Amino acid sequence: MFSLFASEGPHIAIAPEKLFTIGDWTITNSMIYGWIISTLMIWGLIYLVKKISVNGSRGPAQILDAGVEFIYSTTESSLGSREMARRYTPYFATLFFFIAISNITGLLPIVGRSFTYDGTALFRPFTADFNGTIAMALIAIVLIQAFAIRESGPVKHFRHYFAGSLLNPATYLIGLVEVFQELTRLFSLALRLFLNVVIGEILIAIFAYLGGMFGFATAVPFTLMEVFIGLLQAYIFVILTVSYLSVAVSHSHDHEEAPA
Amino acid sequence: MELFAETVNTAVLAKGILVGFGGMGPAIAIGLLGASYMTAVSRNPESAKFLGQLFVFVAMAELFGLIAFASIFIVK
Repeated sequence: MFSLFASEGPHIAIAPEKLFTIGDWTITNSMIYGWIISTLMIWGLIYLVKKISVNGSRGPAQILDAGVEFIYSTTESSLGSREMARRYTPYFATLFFFIAISNITGLLPIVGRSFTYDGTALFRPFTADFNGTIAMALIAIVLIQAFAIRESGPVKHFRHYFAGSLLNPATYLIGLVEVFQELTRLFSLALRLFLNVVIGEILIAIFAYLGGMFGFATAVPFTLMEVFIGLLQAYIFVILTVSYLSVAVSHSHDHEEAPA
Repeated sequence: MELFAETVNTAVLAKGILVGFGGMGPAIAIGLLGASYMTAVSRNPESAKFLGQLFVFVAMAELFGLIAFASIFIVK
């Protein structure tokens, strides 16, 4: 007979679980799912990009079209010029689609303990791994520095941290705080995405457990909420990186315009 | 004090305090954000387009609640 209420608690894992090792490398379940999703995404996006046409796209290509258009308009309104939006939209659109697709495919029934390898779950959403999100945030922060240096030159870019007279000691103090703010940005970007996804998974697990026999029904509202939150977090990650870039670039423009 | 530690499961107490107080701050923050958004929209309906900006700030406030919620799995 089935039991109305499961006796053991829900399975909660905050960190990704180790599956096997290749040499010195530990392969975790989130890495495997990340590779699968990236491969499928590259194939799917290359297929869909060929379907986009000027006369209006059809089918799933519409989603891609609308998403890229949305990121383009956001980038344009935040950076303030069309040419800069054209230059940097490819990176931000990639980021948006990767995070959104990772979050949404993380809600599929194949993820979790339906497929197990040696007792651990075989698949885990890539964004539910702090190593993955901090890698994405690190790449974003480093690329923003590179973009800002390309836009305004190294000297002007570093002067934007240490703005004001160089003889004033307060300039160095404020500059150091500004430099440490980059570290804060790195960890807040990574933690926000990671915690939203992981806590969504935990909420779904808890409510499926509380439902007992009707776990399939009690988890539905939270799964729907997670679809919304997954898209929202992708948007927020992108809009925050765009705004960091626009701050790093616009300061240099102010210095440019002030003497002229 | 020893009797207290023996009779009360302090880890559960700590988890309750973490979730309760950790959720309180972001809840107040999100309430204030929503209130000021509604005030702005009712004063100037043009400003309804800043809903995306609102969600960015909601996510910023939410982070601290999520950190508190994630910490309960570390407390043993």
